[in-house]
Amino acid sequence: MDIAVLAEQFPIFLQAEEGGLVQQELSFMILLFIAAMVAIVVRRIRLPYTVALVLVGLVLSFFPNFLGFSVSSDLILAILVPPLVFEATLHIPWRKLKKDLLPVLLLAFGGTLVGTFLVGGLVHFLGISWAAALAFGALISATDPVAVIAFFRSLGVSKRLTILVEGESLFNDGVAIVIFNLALAAGTLSGSFGLGEALQSFFIVAFGGVAVGITLGYVVSYIILKNVDDHLIETATTVALAFGSFVVAESFGQFIGVEGLHFSGILAVVAAGLMVGNIGFQNTSPTTKLTLDNFWEFLSFVVNSLVFLLIGLEIELTQLRPNIIPIVVAVLAIILSRGLIIYTFSWVYGRIQPRNRIPFNFQHVMYWGGLRGAISLALALSIEDAVFGPEVALELRVMTFGVVLFTLLFQGMTIEKIINRLKLAEVPPQRVELQRRQATLSAKWAGKHELDRLRDDGILFKDIWDSMGQVYDEEIQAKKADLRAHLQDFPELELDMYLQAREDALSAERSAVGEASRRGFISNEVHDELIVELNNRAAALEIIMKNRTRGVEKWERENE
Amino acid sequence: MSSIVCATRGGEGSRAAQMAAIKRAKETGEPLLFLYIVDPDSLEEKISDSLKEAILAELIWMGETLLRIAQKRANLAHLSTEIKIRRGNVHEEIVRFMKDVEADLLVLGAPRGTTANIFGDDAIERLAEVIRQETAVSVEIIRPDYVNTTSELLSYD
Repeated sequence: MDIAVLAEQFPIFLQAEEGGLVQQELSFMILLFIAAMVAIVVRRIRLPYTVALVLVGLVLSFFPNFLGFSVSSDLILAILVPPLVFEATLHIPWRKLKKDLLPVLLLAFGGTLVGTFLVGGLVHFLGISWAAALAFGALISATDPVAVIAFFRSLGVSKRLTILVEGESLFNDGVAIVIFNLALAAGTLSGSFGLGEALQSFFIVAFGGVAVGITLGYVVSYIILKNVDDHLIETATTVALAFGSFVVAESFGQFIGVEGLHFSGILAVVAAGLMVGNIGFQNTSPTTKLTLDNFWEFLSFVVNSLVFLLIGLEIELTQLRPNIIPIVVAVLAIILSRGLIIYTFSWVYGRIQPRNRIPFNFQHVMYWGGLRGAISLALALSIEDAVFGPEVALELRVMTFGVVLFTLLFQGMTIEKIINRLKLAEVPPQRVELQRRQATLSAKWAGKHELDRLRDDGILFKDIWDSMGQVYDEEIQAKKADLRAHLQDFPELELDMYLQAREDALSAERSAVGEASRRGFISNEVHDELIVELNNRAAALEIIMKNRTRGVEKWERENE
Repeated sequence: MSSIVCATRGGEGSRAAQMAAIKRAKETGEPLLFLYIVDPDSLEEKISDSLKEAILAELIWMGETLLRIAQKRANLAHLSTEIKIRRGNVHEEIVRFMKDVEADLLVLGAPRGTTANIFGDDAIERLAEVIRQETAVSVEIIRPDYVNTTSELLSYD
C-alpha cells in the first residue's frame, strides 16, 4: 500500500512533521512517566488505575498546550485501539467463548442496535435531528470494560462473567462504529438513505471485517507461528497483524480497486486476535508464548495508560457546566437503555437456553459494568462540523465527555463494591488465609536471617542476637502451628502449596541455567535447549494448575 | 494376600482418605498401597504436541510428591506402605490396578460440600458404585471431616 494513501486515510501519519517530532516524543515520554507514577500511587490507594489516569488527565488539561500533538479520532481508532483489542482477544478461549457466543452476539449486535435507537430516541427530545441522535446513540453504545476487567482479574471473578463482559465489549465496539458511520452517512445524504440499504451496508462492513481478520489471522497462525521458531520474529508478526488487519479491512477497496469499499477494522482485529490466541498459541513454542504474553501485556499497559490520560486531557471541564442538561439526559438515557438491554436480552437468552442462563448477579455486574471510554470518545471527536452543523457536533462531543466521565468515575469506582456485595469474588477465603499465614511465616524467617547476617558482620553482639533469635524462634514455631492448623482444616490446600512451591522451584531452575550461561559454563545452544525444556515444564504446570482435580469430573462428563 | 488400596489425587478428601486407609491397614494388618493415576487426557484443554511430554512429566512429578506425602503419614503411624503411579483413564486404571494387586478394599476421598447425602448422585459415589460392580471389592468413600477425628496421626511437621 502506498504510504501517501495510508497518510490520507489516517491523517495522524501526516502530523509527524520533523519540526514537531521532538515535542511529540517529549509529550509521549512525559505521559508515560506520569502513567508510571500514577500506577505506583494507586497501589497504595483503593482507586482503579484507569480512573486515576482520567483524574490526572483532567488536572493536566488545565495546562494549555501540554501535549505536543492533537488528540484526533484517527490517533485513538487507528493507533491506540487495535493493540488494546488484539491483546484482549488473545486471552479469550474460543472453547469458552463458544459456550456464550449467543448471548455475546445478542448483546453486541441486538443490544447495540436497540441501545442506539433507545438513546437516540431519548436525546432526540433535546431538539437534535434523528441522524445526529442516532449517531450519538451508536457511539455511546460502545462499552469499554478495561477498568472492570482489571477488577475481575484482581478479585478472581468467574471466567464466564469476564468472557460475557469482554466479549460483548469487543464485538459491540465494531458494531457501534458501523452503525455510527451509517448514521453519519444518513446525516450527510439528508434522509435519502433507506433502511434496507443501511442493513445491507451493516452486514457487508461487519462480516467483511470478520472475514479479513480470520484470513490474516489464519495466515499468521498456521503459516508463520507454526513454521517459524523464533520468538522475536513471531512477536513482530503479531504486531503487524494487529495493526495490519485494521488497516487492510478499513482500506480494503484500495487493495482490490473498488473505491469506497471498506470493512470494520475493529471486527477484523477481534477476529485476528481470536485466531492467534486460540490457534496461533497452540502452534508455537512455550518460549514464544511467554514472550508474546509479556510483550502484549506491556504494550496493553502502555496504550491503556495513554488512552485514559488522553481521555482526561481531552474532556473540557469548562464545556460541561453550560451543557449540564443534555449531559444529564444522556447519562439517564444510557443508564436506562443499558438496564433494559441487559435484563431483557438475558431473559430472552434464558428462554432459549434455560440450562445456560445468565445468573442475576452476573446481569447486575454486566449492567453496572457497562462503562464508556476510548471508542466513544474517538467517535465523538471524529464528527465533523459539516455533517450536523458545528453546534450539534459540539453538543454531541460534550454529551459524550459527560457520559464517559460519569461512567468512568461513578460506575468505575463503585463496581468493586457491587462485585463484592454480590459475592462474585471467587478466591476462596481459605486460600487467602493460607497466603496470609505463609507470608507471615516467611516474614519471620526473613527477620531471623537478617539477625544472623548482622551477627556475621559483627554489628550485632552475640548476647543480643541470641536473645532476639529466641524470641523469633518462638514466633516462628507459633506461626508454623497456625499454618499447620489451617492445613488441617482445609487439607486441599496442600495441593495449592505444592503447586506454588513447584512453580517457584521451576523458576529457580530457569535462573540457575541463565546464571550458568552468563558465567560461560554452558554454550548458548545448551542454554536455549534447557530453557525451552523448563519453559515447557512451567507451561505444563500452569495448565495443571488451571485444571486441578479433573479426573473424576472427566469421568462424570463421560458418563452423563 | 489381599490388600487395601487408597487412590489419591490431592483433593479435599485425599488426606482424610489416606488417614482412614492407614487406620484400616493397622487394624487388619493388610498391606496398604497408595495409588495415583496420571491422566493427561483429563485436562479440559487442547494441548499442543510440544507440551504433551512436559505435562506428563509434571503430572508424574506431582503424583510422586503426593504419594510420598501419604507414605510419610503412614510412616508416622509406624506403617510401611507401597506407592504406585499408573497412567491412563482414572476409572479404568483403578479397576485394572485393583485386579492386579487382588485388593479387597478401595478407599477414595470425597470433596467437601457433596450432595450425596441429599440426592445420592454425586460423581464420586457413582464412580465408587461402578468400581464395586466391576471388581466386586468394597469401596469406601471418606469425607474431609474424617481428618478431625484422627488428629493423632497428624503430628508430622
